[in-house]
Amino acid sequence: MDNLVILIPALPFIAALLIGAGTLTGLLRGEASENTTSLIATWAISMSCLLTLTLLGADLLNKNAGQFSVGTWLSSDTFTIDINFITHGFSVRLAALFSLLLMIIQRFSINYMHREVGFHRFFFILSLFSSAMLLLVLSGNAIETFFGWEIAGLCSYLLILYNYQRPVAALNATRVFITNRVGDTGFILGISFSYAWANNANWLNLQSVADQLSTGEATGIALCFALAAFSKSAQIPFTPWLSKAMEGPTPSSAVFYGAVMIHAGVYLICLLEPIFEKAPLALAALIVIGTLTALYGYLTGLTQTDVKSSLVFATSAQLGLMFLECGLGFWQFAQWHLCAHAIVRTYLFLSAPSLMHQVKDNPIQPAPAVLIKQHWLYTASLQRFWLDQITDWMLVRPLRRLAHDLSYFDDKVVDHLMGIPAPAINTISSLAELEERLLTQPVEQSNHQFGQSNGVVGQLISAFANLMHWIEDRFVLRGIGKDAINLGRKLGQQANKFELYVLRPRYLVLFILITLLLAF
Amino acid sequence: MSHADFPLLSLLIFFPILGALSLYLTPKPHLAKKIALAIASLELLLTGLAFGLFNNLDGAHFQLTEQYAWIPSLHINYYVGIDGISVLFLPATAFLTLSAIMTSWNAIQSLQRFHFALILLLEGISIGVLSALDTLLFFVFWELTLPPLFFLIGVWGIGPKRRSAAMKYTLFMLFGGVPLLFAILLLAMNHATTVQGLLPKDLCFNLLILLETPVSDHLQLIVFSLFLLGFAAKAPLVPFHTWLPTASMEGPAQITALLMGLKLGLYGILRFALPLAPSAAVEYSWALGILGGITLIYAALIALQQTNLRRLLAYASISHVGLVLIGIASLTAQGIQGALFQLFNFSLISSSLMLIAGFIQQRLGSTEVLHLGGLAKVVPRLTSFYFLFVIASIGLPGTSGFPAELLLIIGALTAHNSLGFTALAGSVLSAAYLLSFTRKAFLGPILQKSLHTLHDLRPREVALLCLPALFVLILGCAPNLLLNVSQVASEAWLTHLMEPPASDPNEIVQFSQP
Repeated sequence: MDNLVILIPALPFIAALLIGAGTLTGLLRGEASENTTSLIATWAISMSCLLTLTLLGADLLNKNAGQFSVGTWLSSDTFTIDINFITHGFSVRLAALFSLLLMIIQRFSINYMHREVGFHRFFFILSLFSSAMLLLVLSGNAIETFFGWEIAGLCSYLLILYNYQRPVAALNATRVFITNRVGDTGFILGISFSYAWANNANWLNLQSVADQLSTGEATGIALCFALAAFSKSAQIPFTPWLSKAMEGPTPSSAVFYGAVMIHAGVYLICLLEPIFEKAPLALAALIVIGTLTALYGYLTGLTQTDVKSSLVFATSAQLGLMFLECGLGFWQFAQWHLCAHAIVRTYLFLSAPSLMHQVKDNPIQPAPAVLIKQHWLYTASLQRFWLDQITDWMLVRPLRRLAHDLSYFDDKVVDHLMGIPAPAINTISSLAELEERLLTQPVEQSNHQFGQSNGVVGQLISAFANLMHWIEDRFVLRGIGKDAINLGRKLGQQANKFELYVLRPRYLVLFILITLLLAF
Repeated sequence: MSHADFPLLSLLIFFPILGALSLYLTPKPHLAKKIALAIASLELLLTGLAFGLFNNLDGAHFQLTEQYAWIPSLHINYYVGIDGISVLFLPATAFLTLSAIMTSWNAIQSLQRFHFALILLLEGISIGVLSALDTLLFFVFWELTLPPLFFLIGVWGIGPKRRSAAMKYTLFMLFGGVPLLFAILLLAMNHATTVQGLLPKDLCFNLLILLETPVSDHLQLIVFSLFLLGFAAKAPLVPFHTWLPTASMEGPAQITALLMGLKLGLYGILRFALPLAPSAAVEYSWALGILGGITLIYAALIALQQTNLRRLLAYASISHVGLVLIGIASLTAQGIQGALFQLFNFSLISSSLMLIAGFIQQRLGSTEVLHLGGLAKVVPRLTSFYFLFVIASIGLPGTSGFPAELLLIIGALTAHNSLGFTALAGSVLSAAYLLSFTRKAFLGPILQKSLHTLHDLRPREVALLCLPALFVLILGCAPNLLLNVSQVASEAWLTHLMEPPASDPNEIVQFSQP
């Protein structure tokens, strides 16, 4: 049964390829092709779902080997990365749940997205995302998980961009992607440290060698992966990206930020349970960040006036609680929490559009009772604790300014130091032009500089040239007075006479003969 | 082996050069570009053949070698060959040339024959640079790349200061040439003194022999710095990079794509600077790493500030050079293989992005962000390709950028943590500058009326971009296809660096009989 696992991420991927190729070539276009697109997407995800359920059944009957290896993906010297999958335990259960939710959401979107401009694009991204997500949970090593992790992030970017003509959507998508990119560095660092210290990045191997790692090493690996998990699951300080991501269509919000992708962080932590158990500092980090986010999500959620935002902050808070549970050592509980939360949140997100439709215009709500007495807390909650502004002030703006200064430095200093050729308009093309320029210049300023230079090397050369010119001018040329000119004239006359003699035919023939003799 | 005697590499070098000459004999200019296209396609097939004949398992040794005496009295030979490090550059060069010719198809209206001849000439010379195994032959080819590029930038440039840009490029390259020649001569003389031979007779320019000749430590340092200085101008490394943004703004896009795709400077560092001064390279690899780190971050930060796509791509390319240099400086198998992989990626990714910039330039007359905005709506196909190359450039999994970047970062982290952190910071910055430009230029509402009539990619242009796109995706999914080629060679390269060559003078090849 184990080899079925390859097909699970592959089927939606093939669907994505088909839809993508169809859209790019123009075969799938407009309302007429909506059926084809939705058929491809639904078939793929349904088959995947059936397969995961089969895999789950086999796992429950203990018929799976636990892992399945396909081959080597990359090898360089001693560094090898395999393509392998986990076919046992939490991963399979989560895959079954996720594929079920993905299927439901996909079915929902067919009606929801009907006659939308980007219908085909939406299903392309959704299929790609399903594939990435299933790869993420089923993969047997960190790099393959990272594959799914990043492609899911890319899909999230693309879906926030769904209405790409709206400037806000474009801005938010970019911001979300770059925020997640910061977390990804943690993932890559984690992978590198795993290779450096545990010689491996296979999840199962990492779990088994956790005992041999020293506390420091375990803490290093755990903190790196925790950073990645915090960014993906929108924990403090990364939380603001989640509300920005609500620009996408509702089914995509449901699937990304309610049901599936947002849980990837917790899943990652659960995979690394043995390593976290060895690293008390990392556990403490989970507790602190989880608690802070839960509080933050709760307080900020209180003042939200639209349904999607309040769902977002509720999600953040619940995820914070999951991290807290992990940090306290209730791993099993956190896993149950994850599954239950995924189901509930999917329902809430999918029913949000009809809720909004029924309620019509957000009614004005009174300020929540908890916050009425605490004005500062109310303001903080309304301002979402200024998290966005703080990151802007601490990171984005200094970086922008630095970039601006460096750009100036590059243009005005480096470029000039290295030298730029003088613009053609300043150079002199003929001697007449030089003469003209010298004549029009005031006498005392007249310099005989012919070439123009800049840059260190250019300046040096021109300084040297000026010096030589000065020597020539002052000593060689001016040293000779009128006598010299007369002498020169006399010499010239003598030379002319000599030449006349030489040019007589006999002398010429003589010279030629001598030359020929010398040559042979 | 039957193919051993066939001078395939010479054919690869001289076929396009002769082709360039033959273009002059064609009476009609429109025929010239067809001939040029045929020659470039055939050349691509031939490089494919060379790649096919190349034996990966023996990648540490030079293959397809040819050696003829050129200046016998000085032991300068016409000596060419390829190993696992250079073999990948050949098809990349041929491919870049082919795409440059296809892009110039309608864009070039004046002096067509001269233009296509120069591109072919440049191709032959570049392949000469990549396969030369004689230091002086290398130098000759190296300097010969200048004249074609000077004219290509200066005559067909699209900016108002194209002449000045061409001059700037030439001056920078000439400046780089001087230390190179110095280093080559120093090494040749060193060989003569080591074997205690006669000076003019025992000069040696053969790379393979020079690799085995021991060089004293202080001379190694001099040679290493000279080589580095020479190649830094071409690579380009900060602070010798200022010619690239100028050239990208003033030169024609397809030629800039060639310039950015062909990383001859880094190839030189890999082939000559480090192996010829091994102990200095090992000792001063930290300096190389710092230089790479500065280039990476400095150029990435400046790229954040750019408002013009072509200039942005120039800085992005400089930043990537820094990343590759970090990989090389790590002196680990992963770093080197990642560097080679990334170099191959460049040829595909940054040149394709530059070509796309060229397409936009051709349609709109500008790549300034002020004149763009909302392109995704009007030119969806162009945007799709652009986006694919952007995510490949960022290094997202599924594209060839990812395995290369992963190897580079892991190599850097193994060598020194701070190098790895710099590389990671660079990867965040690369996402920032590329995506924020994408946002401004391709997303959002359409503000310029002229954009509404924009024509999407034509079939010829799609065909041109499909090949690199396919490669980017295939190599992203199966990186071992490429890594297997360079595996043996990069391991041998590292071994050579870590274990200094024989110090016994008797073992060294000596030309004059004492």
